[in-house]
Amino acid sequence: MTENELAHMNENTSTKSSIPENGQPPKKTGVYLCRCGGNIGDLVDLQSIADSLKENKDVLVNIQDYLCSGAGQEKIKSDIEKGKVDRVVIGSCSPKLHLETFRGMAKKAGLNPNLLEITNIREQASWVHDKEGINPKVKGLIKGAVARIGSIEPLVPLEKKLVNRTLVVGGGIAGITTALELADAHEVILIEKLPFLGGHMIGLSKTFPTLDCSQCILTPKMVAVHNHPNITMFTQTEVADVRGSPGDYSITLRHSPRYVDIEKCINCGACARKCTTGAIFLPFAQAVPQAYMIDMSKCKNCGACVKVCPRDAIDLDAKEKTSSVSVGAVAIATGFEPIDPSFIEEYNYPAPNLLTAVEFEEMLSAKSKTGMRLQKADGSFPSRVAFVLCAGSRDFTGKGRKHCSKVCCIYSQKQAQLVRKMKDEAEAWIFYIDMRSAGRRFEEFYHHTQEKGVNYVRGKVAEIIPKQDGALMVQYEDTNLGRKGRELFDMVVLCPALIPSAGTKELADKLGVPIGDDGFIEEKHVKLDPVNTLNQSVFAAGCVLGPKDIHDSVTEGISAAHKVSQFLGKGMILIPPEKPMILECNGCGECVKACPYNALNLENGKAVLSPLACTGCGICVPACPIKGIEIRNYTRNQYKAQLKAILSEEPGVIVFIDPYAYAAADIAGVNRRQYSSLVRFVNVPSIHILDADVVNAAFEYGATGVMLIEGTTDEKLVSHSDELYKKLKKETRKHKKPLRYSHIETAQYEKLTDLLNVFAAQAGAKAQKKNKKETESEE
Amino acid sequence: MKKEIILVESRDPAFQDLVLSTPVGEKLATCMQCGICAGSCPVSHEMDYNPRQLVRMVQLGLKNEVLNSNTIWICTSCFSCSVRCPRGIRPTELMETLRPIAIAEGIKNKNERFDGVFSDVVRKNGRASEFLLISKYSLKEPEMIKQAPFGLSLFLKGKLPLAVDKMENTLELDTIFKLGEKVEKKEKENKENKETGMKTEKEEPETDK
Ligand SMILES: Cc1cc2nc3c(=O)[nH]c(=O)nc-3n(C[C@H](O)[C@H](O)[C@H](O)COP(=O)(O)OP(=O)(O)OC[C@H]3O[C@@H](n4cnc5c(N)ncnc54)[C@H](O)[C@@H]3O)c2cc1C
Ligand code: SF4
Ligand code: SF4
Ligand code: SF4
Ligand code: SF4
Repeated sequence: MTENELAHMNENTSTKSSIPENGQPPKKTGVYLCRCGGNIGDLVDLQSIADSLKENKDVLVNIQDYLCSGAGQEKIKSDIEKGKVDRVVIGSCSPKLHLETFRGMAKKAGLNPNLLEITNIREQASWVHDKEGINPKVKGLIKGAVARIGSIEPLVPLEKKLVNRTLVVGGGIAGITTALELADAHEVILIEKLPFLGGHMIGLSKTFPTLDCSQCILTPKMVAVHNHPNITMFTQTEVADVRGSPGDYSITLRHSPRYVDIEKCINCGACARKCTTGAIFLPFAQAVPQAYMIDMSKCKNCGACVKVCPRDAIDLDAKEKTSSVSVGAVAIATGFEPIDPSFIEEYNYPAPNLLTAVEFEEMLSAKSKTGMRLQKADGSFPSRVAFVLCAGSRDFTGKGRKHCSKVCCIYSQKQAQLVRKMKDEAEAWIFYIDMRSAGRRFEEFYHHTQEKGVNYVRGKVAEIIPKQDGALMVQYEDTNLGRKGRELFDMVVLCPALIPSAGTKELADKLGVPIGDDGFIEEKHVKLDPVNTLNQSVFAAGCVLGPKDIHDSVTEGISAAHKVSQFLGKGMILIPPEKPMILECNGCGECVKACPYNALNLENGKAVLSPLACTGCGICVPACPIKGIEIRNYTRNQYKAQLKAILSEEPGVIVFIDPYAYAAADIAGVNRRQYSSLVRFVNVPSIHILDADVVNAAFEYGATGVMLIEGTTDEKLVSHSDELYKKLKKETRKHKKPLRYSHIETAQYEKLTDLLNVFAAQAGAKAQKKNKKETESEE
Repeated sequence: MKKEIILVESRDPAFQDLVLSTPVGEKLATCMQCGICAGSCPVSHEMDYNPRQLVRMVQLGLKNEVLNSNTIWICTSCFSCSVRCPRGIRPTELMETLRPIAIAEGIKNKNERFDGVFSDVVRKNGRASEFLLISKYSLKEPEMIKQAPFGLSLFLKGKLPLAVDKMENTLELDTIFKLGEKVEKKEKENKENKETGMKTEKEEPETDK
């Protein structure tokens, strides 16, 4: 059981959600309409809307020039305080801009902030339509909001206590940085798959663009991790299992045996001197932790090392172990690995003297097995070295990877410089497609490498043929000359596509974090939330987010630490209270199967919700065969009431839209992309909350067409969209009205408005045809 | 070879559209000029424009130079370029697409001599014999003398067997060839008729002047 679950059992107060005082009907709804200078008022006849609303005795209407101004807010506040209204609908700009403002005001006035909602009549009305058709639209939307707000429950956000401890997965430079940055204020557990820290960086020679020695700058950091009182470090360790929910995880770690106790080993090497097979060794001189280890494939179990070890550190019978840790946040820093270039048939990898850039670097690094000497398979120095860029990158055929691996252009030039530095006559050739050296100090680095006499050939190498004498024939086109060439080299270095480390997907799945189609972890927002993930308690840094250099990996490590710290620093998190309520349950378990976030479980034959794991997506609602589940404040009846009111003014097209796509509609507004005023948006937490009940209701109340617009990129939801669409299509067929599904990411606002226009026109045409037919048959 | 300045006039949007609308045209715009096609092509050094350059010229719509290049005729359809292109472009198929366009424009096969010898040899024997091919081609193409040392070394290594491995029944093959010739003849006639038809139409407005 996680710490939080325990806390829940003891206090049972952390999950508050009050239900409206029984039966008490709401007194009065205040509708406040904003002219927004002329932005709204010039196009929408707010007065006529106000007049028609006044027919409803329970509604109080007020129009202001600028509702967001001090005076505007004051008016609403005093109405609440005086008890004139106890629910508020605001018709103004997008809730993305001012919902927080208005709700803050409501809270101060003593109203549950949930009882205030905004109808967007600027970005999604006055900025995107002309006068025609805008009044009935706005009137309908406001009436819909009034119908909705009347039945809203005054819920209180859920609170969850956070566990003030972070798990950092991956001990490369990104993970090391995250751990160190966090450790002064928070407890950190750092796990690394390999027997030593440092990731790829400890296998680098010099580091571009300044050519400082990699181990010199990294070793102090590795030692600091090892010695930090707030960091517990485990090597040869991976995540085996994740339980619990964001902010409160119980994670099982799997530790592979090292056979030497890290704490006891004093690095004397007595064991290695006795071992006849070389099975016991120190990974490399600067390795952290400084302790020997055994390669069991070489060990013959003679026990000589055990006898000679002065500290009794060796245990030849050590077994794989597991342990469990409780953490509130996780930072993923599992980095990258080079793609195995053997799939590129024409390059004939592996062959003697044909290496990957990672192998080349390692030869000249702390991990070197050649005493940091660059040498061919026969031990001699390679006088002619070729670097082949884009080996497996920028490939859209499905054989390689689409993305550019970003660092190869620069590190290959670094490696070429090193070759030239080692021997004056040595030749270094770089075969490239585009020399990418964007960013501070990189073009200068390119220029400097040119000055050092490196030969650049623009052309993707066509073939590498190993010769009997160990030489390699490289065939290519020099595209600058338009001529084919062949050249013999002593050594050829392939710069392979950098891909996410093996196991990234499994780890991401365990943590409920989506990955992109390139396999890297998906950021919460590509630009604005680059180290957050869609799971609010999981963060990422370094090459697991895409190939990058040390500078950027460190920057992200620092950012992730800041974000983790900010998250944990609150001690508590507020979670939106719009969660499923299980009204009726026969224990069939369909909802448990449907929930992509493992938030539902069967206990004693009944579905039980873990509210803190639930994202409120609503996919469980249509999954329940007896319609026993509703999402609070997004119930079927609430939707139906809202739809009925919206469509009471004039038939239109109902567009169910999720928060991500809603943002696209706002951008369309900001850019004044016009579209049909028949479009009426209805917010859904995700389109997966919808079932035929609601869609059929929309048709019955007069919708000429229904659209489902989804913007989320969460594969856990999107992968069900086709299925949902087909099902809804079948179950709403009787209305013979168009239904459409579309995926629109936030940036695709132009596509959105095009779609809306086409659909509105189609739906209109179809409705007209139907009307004509009906009138004809009546005649 | 003299290369022309690329001018607005050298570009033919209709040709560009025509090629881009064919199956192979779909991906042409994504060529990144990496050159692995030209680097892989066994005969690119014999071409006026290598496959990479041809793709670029098609992108630009340089119709005259594209259709008059020897490239599209020299291509041996070995598919090396198509297998390796990282953008999934298939230059081999581009060549196949361009050849009939060139023929339709009345442009002659730039490799007619070799192609003639090749089909003769195949027609007579049912198989291509390297020895017959090279010796007959050498008679027609004086330049081939330069290849003599290479031919000799091939021969010495046993890669140019003198014996001709003939197919048993070449009669059936001959029928196929004849059928093909018939179709070709018909097409040619049709085209000529069409052209003369078009000419009369074209001439009319001119007489108006
Ligand atoms: C050939 C080459 C040369 C380069 N040269 C330079 C240079 O000169 N200058 C420069 O700035 N950058 C250079 N780079 C880039 C640099 O290597 C990276 O920016 C840096 O290593 C990224 O660090 P990271 O921590 O994100 O990933 P990594 O270094 O890959 O570290 C990830 C760590 O996580 C561990 N891990 C993986 N999966 C798991 C798991 N499931 N559980 C636990 N642990 C796991 C791995 O074992 C590894 O230790 C070079 C890259 C290459 C390929
Ligand atoms: S048990 Fe023997 S073989 Fe194994 S590591 Fe120790 S000395 Fe080497
Ligand atoms: S709303 Fe979504 S996340 Fe919550 S229980 Fe239902 S399916 Fe699971
Ligand atoms: S291989 Fe493909 S991408 Fe590269 S130059 Fe040739 S056609 Fe263009
Ligand atoms: S298919 Fe044609 S163009 Fe392509 S490599 Fe072969 S001969 Fe060259």
